[in-house]
Amino acid sequence: MSDPVSLTTDHPVQAASATPPAPGGSRRLSDRWLAVAFISPALLLLLAMSVFPLLWALYLSFTDYSATRGGSAHFVWFENYTAILTSAQVHLRALTTLIYVVGAVTLQTVLGFTIAYLISRRTHGRGLLTTLFLVPMMLSPVVVGLFWRFMLDAQFGVINSMLGSLGLGQVEWLTRQRTALFSLIVVDTWQWTPFIMLIALAGLTAVPKYLYEAASIDRASEWFRFRTITLPLVWPLLLIAVLFRAIEAFRLFDLVYILTSGGPGVSTETLSFHVYKVAFLGFNTGTASAYGILMVLIVIVLTQLYLRYLNKLKED
Amino acid sequence: MLATTVTACGGDDGASAPKAPATIPELTKDPLTLSFIWFEWPPAQALEAFANAEYKKERPNTTIKVNTVPNANWHDAMFTQFAAHKTDFDIAILDSQHIGEAVTNGNILDLTDFVKKNIDVNAYNPYLLAAYGQFPQAETGKRDENASLYGLPLLGDTWTMIYRKDLIGDKPPQTWDEMISAAEKCQADNPGVSGLAFHQANGSDAAAVTYNTVNGVYGGNLWDAKSRKIDGVLNDAAGQEAMDVLVNKMKPLTAKGSGNWFIDEVNAAVAQGKACIAFNWIAASGGLLDPKQSTLGKTREEILGKLGFATLPTQKTNLVPLGGMGMHVSAYSSEANQAEALNFMKWFERADIQKKWAAAGGVPSRTDALQSPEFLNAGPFNQVYADSVPRMRDMWNVPEYARLVDIENTNVNAALNGAKAPKDALNDIAKEQQAVLNSSGRKGGGGL
Repeated sequence: MSDPVSLTTDHPVQAASATPPAPGGSRRLSDRWLAVAFISPALLLLLAMSVFPLLWALYLSFTDYSATRGGSAHFVWFENYTAILTSAQVHLRALTTLIYVVGAVTLQTVLGFTIAYLISRRTHGRGLLTTLFLVPMMLSPVVVGLFWRFMLDAQFGVINSMLGSLGLGQVEWLTRQRTALFSLIVVDTWQWTPFIMLIALAGLTAVPKYLYEAASIDRASEWFRFRTITLPLVWPLLLIAVLFRAIEAFRLFDLVYILTSGGPGVSTETLSFHVYKVAFLGFNTGTASAYGILMVLIVIVLTQLYLRYLNKLKED
Repeated sequence: MLATTVTACGGDDGASAPKAPATIPELTKDPLTLSFIWFEWPPAQALEAFANAEYKKERPNTTIKVNTVPNANWHDAMFTQFAAHKTDFDIAILDSQHIGEAVTNGNILDLTDFVKKNIDVNAYNPYLLAAYGQFPQAETGKRDENASLYGLPLLGDTWTMIYRKDLIGDKPPQTWDEMISAAEKCQADNPGVSGLAFHQANGSDAAAVTYNTVNGVYGGNLWDAKSRKIDGVLNDAAGQEAMDVLVNKMKPLTAKGSGNWFIDEVNAAVAQGKACIAFNWIAASGGLLDPKQSTLGKTREEILGKLGFATLPTQKTNLVPLGGMGMHVSAYSSEANQAEALNFMKWFERADIQKKWAAAGGVPSRTDALQSPEFLNAGPFNQVYADSVPRMRDMWNVPEYARLVDIENTNVNAALNGAKAPKDALNDIAKEQQAVLNSSGRKGGGGL
């Protein structure tokens, strides 16, 4: 404390922080206990719902446990991990997931930023437009999946109907290898582009106006302003949005389940969908736990690398 | 729990399930809800309505509730609860192929003694009784008298061939080749109408049952049950021919984009007049005669003027797929509910109730009910079922069933949708399924 503060009963908080603790029955201690009392329910819930299951899954991942076969779990140590990392089936799902993540996130970023940029330049109806664009994001992925399943139906779907009226042929959106994964990317993009748009819009509105005014005085072109002012200032925020979307896309399950069930064959089976099958078709709980742990590790490692790059960008 | 003793049933399967008592324990006089779990389709609602109307006459304090889940979640919904050793259902309606998994894990009661004391087993075609309750699995068409029973028939089912009498004639094709020719001609003569409609989806057991049906008709085998051999059996010459017929002769006659069709989509195609010949489960075909759902006529009679129902054509054999399900008592139900479940099953399998069930739209399993006018006159496809009973063949009934069917589903679906060559798909099925059977009991890394 630098200056002595005049204490009054009108400022109990000040009084509490300024008064030295009484010997013996410490008031600060009681405050701490109060804090603990307030925090502990949430903390216990977190421990019960997140930390314990994670630790339990970690334990199971080293065993041959099966939820339905019961009995005790026998340690197999790293056998589950070895099997997963060397499985051609897993490699195939990893590649599918990678294509999906890169495709969906790239498309969403480009579209989201473009829409945000166009909205940010408008003076009228900006709020209404933003609200309208946000609607897909508010819907449940299962509902979105069902909507699009009907729309993409080769026989009765509105998409093929429109293509037909343009004189184009029918496309088997969900039942052909080349188009099924593309359809998933399109549907995910339709739903989650607004998320990127929203964050990009926040970044764009935060760019100081005087920079643009200075650029105008210097007769800088639109492209120059975008390249040297807008993009560098919005870029870090956009990268955070990309991070969130990439993590979400990596965990994709619901859309696959509703739209394609992983088909045709297994060509749209993502890692999450495959984990589900391992866990609930054969009830290989130990293997599924190891699979889940590996997925978490991959996300953590990639996120760390990404955040380092982000921090470096900020420093620069 | 009623079940206190553990029994090992025949074979080396190590199957163990708690035993139900031979005599039904005293029933409660308190209000009780007897819960079933099934998948969402018309027979589920029919069962709930029928049971609440009829069983309540005997047990006024009991309410029947049939909980349903989407077909694709059916297995998971039951077995995740079994895994938790706590079920919100008393009677699980298992597909015949689920029995092995449920018995091995001790999820359902062994009803052998109960059946001996309360059920007239001679009233059934032995294979039907075996298919819906026996483990280890029965040989096709037979029942092992020494094997244990874990369930009783609830709903019989098989595929029916649905054909457009106004497009291909009143007489249904008799052989598979004739059927394909008729479908080809019908498709060529009627633009906008596809020759065939059948299950191709990679969910549930859709595409797998389709291949198994064609495999059976062409003289193939799914496996050698005794030696647990699939590789070299499924993909032998007959199996390859069946896959070739399915992918190269039948698939081109289906509608574009039908590669993810299952029960509802096939019915929709028939009802909208978009298919010349279709294959579907009998128990799911009732809606086809509803004028509100059909463009084929304004009355049931008008629709029946255009739609015919027949047993499946034959080729090298006359095999047809065994569908339907049995009732099985959850090992985790309360004593009162288990007792009620046993009482319900005893009641349901009575001759008079089976006939009423038939009249209400159900497909019974008792021979007397199957041959009763109540059943045969209840629907145009009921005679098809009665004629198909001696021709039925089931899939594998082993604890690894869910994984085996997924392998087959995904690979047949891949072949049908051009994601894999038919020959490669069949060889992959055989190889992967064999690996699953071989890895039974393996420590670690399973399920990939």
